[in-house]
Amino acid sequence: MSGQPIAIGGAPSATLGRVKRTSAKSREQKGQWWRFLLILVVTLVVITPILAVFYLSTQPGQNSKVTGFTFENFVRIFGGTDVLLWLGNSLIVALVTVLFSVSIAAPAGYVLSRLRNRLVSGYSLVLFVVQALPVVTAAIPLFITFSVLGLVNTLPGVAIVYIGSTMSVAIWMMAAYFDSIPISLEEAAWMDGASVFGGFRRIVLRNSLPGILSTAIFSFLLAWNDYLIALLFLQDSTKYTMPIGLQTFFQQNAADWGSVMAVAVVMMVPPVLLFAVLNKYFSVGGIGGSLAGR
Amino acid sequence: MAVDTVVGRLDKAKRGVGVSGRGPGTPGAHRSRSPLGRAGLTLVLFALPSLVLLLLLNLFPVIYSFIQSFQDGTPSTLPTEANFVGLQNYVSVLTSDQFLQSTLFTVIFTIVGVFGSWIVGLALALLLRTRIPAGGLFKVLLLLPWIVPVVVSATSWNWLVATPQSPIPMILANFGLGDVNFLGDPVLAKILVCIFKVWISFPFMMMMMASALASVDNNVYEAARMDGASSWQAFTGVTLPIISRTTYISWVLMTIFCVNDFPTIFLLTQGGPSGATTSLIILSYQYAFQNLQTGPATAVAFMMTAVLVIISTLLYQRIKKADIE
Repeated sequence: MSGQPIAIGGAPSATLGRVKRTSAKSREQKGQWWRFLLILVVTLVVITPILAVFYLSTQPGQNSKVTGFTFENFVRIFGGTDVLLWLGNSLIVALVTVLFSVSIAAPAGYVLSRLRNRLVSGYSLVLFVVQALPVVTAAIPLFITFSVLGLVNTLPGVAIVYIGSTMSVAIWMMAAYFDSIPISLEEAAWMDGASVFGGFRRIVLRNSLPGILSTAIFSFLLAWNDYLIALLFLQDSTKYTMPIGLQTFFQQNAADWGSVMAVAVVMMVPPVLLFAVLNKYFSVGGIGGSLAGR
Repeated sequence: MAVDTVVGRLDKAKRGVGVSGRGPGTPGAHRSRSPLGRAGLTLVLFALPSLVLLLLLNLFPVIYSFIQSFQDGTPSTLPTEANFVGLQNYVSVLTSDQFLQSTLFTVIFTIVGVFGSWIVGLALALLLRTRIPAGGLFKVLLLLPWIVPVVVSATSWNWLVATPQSPIPMILANFGLGDVNFLGDPVLAKILVCIFKVWISFPFMMMMMASALASVDNNVYEAARMDGASSWQAFTGVTLPIISRTTYISWVLMTIFCVNDFPTIFLLTQGGPSGATTSLIILSYQYAFQNLQTGPATAVAFMMTAVLVIISTLLYQRIKKADIE
């Protein structure tokens, strides 16, 4: 990587002489275009696989009479497969996960943010260790337990596992956000006779929309993208979520790239849409941002 | 003067001021006036649901799998129905060739995943920090590999490379490299999976590094340059120290992400060809759900868990210590 000079670029120096400044300016402008070109090429290479999905989904199949751009793949998959069902399953599971994850993590995050004692730091350490546990370690025991409870091959079953997997990071994220809300706001409410719960609900939660949104997005993506748990737990094609639906469809129709990519587009649209609308609330990796901030 | 500024800022940055300082809400000084101390029951109720969930869904399975690792169960037997076999599972796992191969591959995959994505992510973060036409748009587009579900991107990468007739092997063939079979050749499959992981992960690093770099004042560079520092010196002397804490955190997190990564590898190669890309987590999955032996599966998973718990506990303590200093 020849990235070193770039680190220095940016603000033109105000301390240089007038003549030097103009030449520095034009050099800076020239540098701008070089960097633009570089990043353009990099970006194109990086998003090629994603563009390919969109492109292939609009290309006619081998036996098709149509040539050029077409929506026939989408017509075919919506009419002839369970893709709408899978989409619905995924949406239900993801939304239930978000709902529970946020409403359980928010009060716990409040405790983590406002209290500092040995018990709470122990709790915080446990949360941090839990997020490092391999999913497979939990998946095998949960699979056996859930078989006994009749939760294997059900949507509530996978949603419960997802809620559990989001929990530690969601609590950290909420706590990190609550840290940024001055405690003096609550103190004023307490002076006016509000309870701790009242202060939490009326002051803290009401000012935490960005934190709640970030946590919700994190939970949504975890539930939406999970492959392993869905692979183990969901066996009927009517119970599939999008990842398993897409993967199974791909295995059965490997030659029909148009249809496969059409299903892929369907799966990709919700997270990309979410990202397009709410991108400032996306915190990469969830815990990464909150760790850096706490 | 300029030197003072640099030193001052560096010092500030080293102490974490402006890099990661606690928010204004951090309690402490105000504790005396707060009813938090008296509202014990409310706060216990606040934390209770999450505690129950963590116990049932995170800690119970770990203990459960620890027990299973000394038994001869299958994914459909309860631990009460299986027999204890002592350390036999650990012995059979540790003496198998595949375990050694998987450990090696996991290490390679993790090292390439962590440092590959860090280098790419940092380079792009530095590039995007400068004035570039449409810079914001590039920033958004470059995050897409992280946003797009891995099942989708794996499908697309399959289309790009799966057979010698796929686009990328065809392009390589045009350069005279002959038939390139990424999924058939053990070495190529390993390289492919590692590149795929870097492709997925660099946006995470880019975001982390961008947020760390956001706290760096451009005047620091001005001052460094006036002192005659070269670009490279400014980078190693100014930039790296300032972003070191975030870098450290992101390395360890990415290590955890890489070791725990199942779909990235599995969706592309299923662990093949002939076990070349079978990481430990895939090995555990294969033991449990293909050979139907939960004993060796949980033995592998548990050894991984132990390593990760140690890593994350050490990290946690180091971060806490850095906070206090």
